[in-house]
Amino acid sequence: MASKIQDALSSAAALAKGMGVTLKEMMSPTITEDYPDVPPKFQERYRGVHVLQRDENGLEKCVACFLCSANCPSDCIYIEAAENTDSLRISGGERYARIYNIDYSRCIFCGYCVEACPTDAITHGHGFEIASYDTSTLIWRKEQLLAPASPRETQTAINPPPGVRSPV
Amino acid sequence: MTFSPELEAKFEKLLRSYPPGRQRSALIPMLMFAQDEVGSVTPEVIAEIAARIGISELQVREVLSYYSMLHTKPMGKYHIQVCTNISCLLTGGEEIWEQARKKLGCGHKEVTADGQFSLEEVECIGACSWAPAIQVNYDFHHNVTPEKFNALIDSLRKLH
Amino acid sequence: MADSVNLTIDGKAVQAAPGTLVIDAAKKVGIEIPAFCYWEGLTLQAACRMCLVEVERMPKLMTACTLTVAEGMVVRTETPLVAEARKSMLEFVLTNHPLDCPVCDKGGECELQDMTFRYGAGEGRFDEMKVHVDEKQWSPVVYFDAPRCILCYRCVRICDEGMGVDALGVIYRGVVSEIAPNKEDHLQCDECGMCIDICPVGALTSGMYRYRTRPWEMEHTGTICAHCSNGCKTTLGTRNGQIIRGNNRDKSGINGEFLCIKGRYAFDFNSHPERLQSPLMRIGGKLEPVSWSRAIGEVARRFTEIRERGGRFGVVGSNRTSNEENYYLQKFARQGLGTNNIDHRRTGDVPALIDALAGRTGVLATVKDVYTAKASLVIGSDLAQQHPLLAYQLRANWRHHQSHTYTVTRGPVREDKYSVHGVRVEPGAELGALESLRDQLKAEPELVILFGDAIKGEAVRRLVEFGDSLGIPVKYICLVDYSNSRGAVDMGLLPHLGPGYQGVENPGMSLPEMLAAEDLDAFWVVGANPLEHNKLAADRAFVVVHDLFLTETAERADVVFPAASAYEKNGTVTNVCGEVQHLRSAVQTMGVKTDLEILGLLSKEMRINLGMWTPESVLREIRQTVRGYNVALPVIAAGGAAQSLPLNGRVTLDSRPELIQSAGDTLFTSGTLGRYSKTLLSVLEYPGVLYGEAAEPEADRR
Repeated sequence: MASKIQDALSSAAALAKGMGVTLKEMMSPTITEDYPDVPPKFQERYRGVHVLQRDENGLEKCVACFLCSANCPSDCIYIEAAENTDSLRISGGERYARIYNIDYSRCIFCGYCVEACPTDAITHGHGFEIASYDTSTLIWRKEQLLAPASPRETQTAINPPPGVRSPV
Repeated sequence: MTFSPELEAKFEKLLRSYPPGRQRSALIPMLMFAQDEVGSVTPEVIAEIAARIGISELQVREVLSYYSMLHTKPMGKYHIQVCTNISCLLTGGEEIWEQARKKLGCGHKEVTADGQFSLEEVECIGACSWAPAIQVNYDFHHNVTPEKFNALIDSLRKLH
Repeated sequence: MADSVNLTIDGKAVQAAPGTLVIDAAKKVGIEIPAFCYWEGLTLQAACRMCLVEVERMPKLMTACTLTVAEGMVVRTETPLVAEARKSMLEFVLTNHPLDCPVCDKGGECELQDMTFRYGAGEGRFDEMKVHVDEKQWSPVVYFDAPRCILCYRCVRICDEGMGVDALGVIYRGVVSEIAPNKEDHLQCDECGMCIDICPVGALTSGMYRYRTRPWEMEHTGTICAHCSNGCKTTLGTRNGQIIRGNNRDKSGINGEFLCIKGRYAFDFNSHPERLQSPLMRIGGKLEPVSWSRAIGEVARRFTEIRERGGRFGVVGSNRTSNEENYYLQKFARQGLGTNNIDHRRTGDVPALIDALAGRTGVLATVKDVYTAKASLVIGSDLAQQHPLLAYQLRANWRHHQSHTYTVTRGPVREDKYSVHGVRVEPGAELGALESLRDQLKAEPELVILFGDAIKGEAVRRLVEFGDSLGIPVKYICLVDYSNSRGAVDMGLLPHLGPGYQGVENPGMSLPEMLAAEDLDAFWVVGANPLEHNKLAADRAFVVVHDLFLTETAERADVVFPAASAYEKNGTVTNVCGEVQHLRSAVQTMGVKTDLEILGLLSKEMRINLGMWTPESVLREIRQTVRGYNVALPVIAAGGAAQSLPLNGRVTLDSRPELIQSAGDTLFTSGTLGRYSKTLLSVLEYPGVLYGEAAEPEADRR
């Protein structure tokens, strides 16, 4: 008989302890994120989809030095360079990237390209929604990677051609 | 291009002073004499001297641009050269230079509006014992003070 | 003086000839002493102070590039003191050098970058602003970025001494010194690009390669230049199936570091937008693109039909196609079509020379002989324009060995600057003028005679007789025009001679005869443009053309095959001195086939068995059957040149030497190919052009 009472008491104690945790957590702020209804939050250092940065004049920082692609362990960066002219000035240096592709079916988000970049042109953004049913769409072009130009520099900025997804 | 008979004679003598094939040794004196007569080393002078010595115009321009006493633009009738190298600097060369700029109203390698004077800040002219020193065309003036400088300029002006 | 000097470099015992520089002696035992200004073969500068070494019993560090070896000398090249000195020198060099390596074309293959990496002067201690000067364009080819320049004077010296052009100099002094072109703001020169390739940093950049890629992104293929007959090796840098750069920085091949504008920059014809990329067939009076099978089938059908009814064929070969293709073409014509009506545009009388020299050995000079011979005689050619490598070798020979050069030319030539004796003659009087040189030439220990199309036919025999009468060893070079002009003759693209100068029984028609023959049934042109200035008399002839472009000849054709260029095929070519070298395919153009493959497919379609049509198998056959072509394969395979010696046998000569005429190309023209090279055209339009007009009116050529 005594053991039955003991059983009931210990069960009640366990229940109370469990519910105590529940009640405590109910009062404290939530950690779980409400993705996809609410945008997720990232640490600053998170290595997501790359962003090609612009300088203070709105020109592209990338001078097509190819160091990112040389440093890339999965060989996923493809660049074609061209020379800036007085009539068409794209980057701050003499050279700019006419074509800059990152193949996200190969990229392992290691960040070596960012480390190699001498002009801080390529950085990791926080974009991550790149899953696709079609691998051919995983090759992102410069227009998709480029940071948006601020409105007053629209003259030098390249506007994404129609049909291209806007940068993440 | 032709020069005065005196200069032509000088050139001829210069070109004969060196063994055959070494005529380029005459380049600097020829440029100096030509500059004194023409006023500056013009492109025509360069072409003429290059042809006479038998070297390329580029080789003449190499020498010409190296030496600061050779000018491609006309300088004033009186070319004032103020030394600001170490001995002159220590004894007041900088003040002379400032005074000269004020007095003449022009800067380094510039010519006054009337074309009479031009000014140049030069390195050592070898008159350290009598520093600060200035050179007007080929004449030296020693132990210059700002007052003496003013007097010199005024006297030169009066010569006209 | 002793034959050799013993010294010690970094503990290694070294033997070197007296007068050798320490930097060269060290290289011999595998010790690299860094230097920016030193360049083998040029005068000494000792401007960069990078080659400082420690020498025992010498109070200060010495420059290895000016120090000659001495008996018992003990040199140390990598001591802490030396490293410190080099680091300090680098710091000075870097005071005004901009930090734009990521943008600079030289980044990745820059000697300054390498040295800074090695000795670590990456951080400067100077607070002053760096001197900046804006970049200048000196010509379509040459751009100069003064701040990057480290004033090593390599460019000035290679232009003056190597090329004999003297287009670069140094103006101003001290920290603002800079390299200047000979015409105030632009260059008047050969546009050879030697200065650009010799530049240790990225101060001189080329208009073709500027900012297009980076060195490590390219693949490199060593092949032979497609233009003149000198056969320079050029290393093509390719990316994405495009040729981006040509140079010869590894100094391999017969040309060492030398290349002219054609070898270095005129590869751009290869990617010209007008390249043919599909066979064309005349349908309803117009040339329409058709499939390969249809075009091959049509040509095979017509050829078979003409052959069976005993029609007349006329076959024209090329000065630019490989030996294998030339050999296969003449075999096709002689065995497959049963005709000896085969010819090409002849530019030099090689058969007459081979005939005149019959029975001797060692009388055909190589490119190297031009550099080592004690004396040379140039007859009727402006070498600097038409044979730039030979001119370069001749000039180097004079600079290094004080060799004697004699010229017999129509007008002034660049060789006059250093030649012992230059004779001006009227066209046709070249042989007679030699008599005036007889006594001088007799006194020479040996002689190389280079002669152009001024000496042909009987005159060649008389020239050889003149050479014999001198009583000294004489070697000969018969100057021809294009990359495989010599190979075309050797392979028997002649109506009266088969491969290896073997006479044929029933000589066929020559090229002018074919053009004039009204009853010609088929006219087959493989890589030539005979109708550029001529008309084909046979209106109804079936015309087949292989070419890269729609030339005047191709426009007249019934079927046009798009051919691969020399940069797109494997095989061998023979240069002006008879040296056989290997062509390597660097790129591919979509839709084209090599001439050899076209020939092979045609023979298959016509059911003619001419053997396999791979370059290797045809070369094997050539080596077995063509006199003088049993050349050492390993030498060729390794990128070297092996001289073919088709001597020792009388040659049936064509009695019409007037058929031989050089096209008289200049440094900036290259037959039909030159018309499709943007680089050559842009240089011709530039005010600084040194050679504006062709020496002679242009005639038919590829």
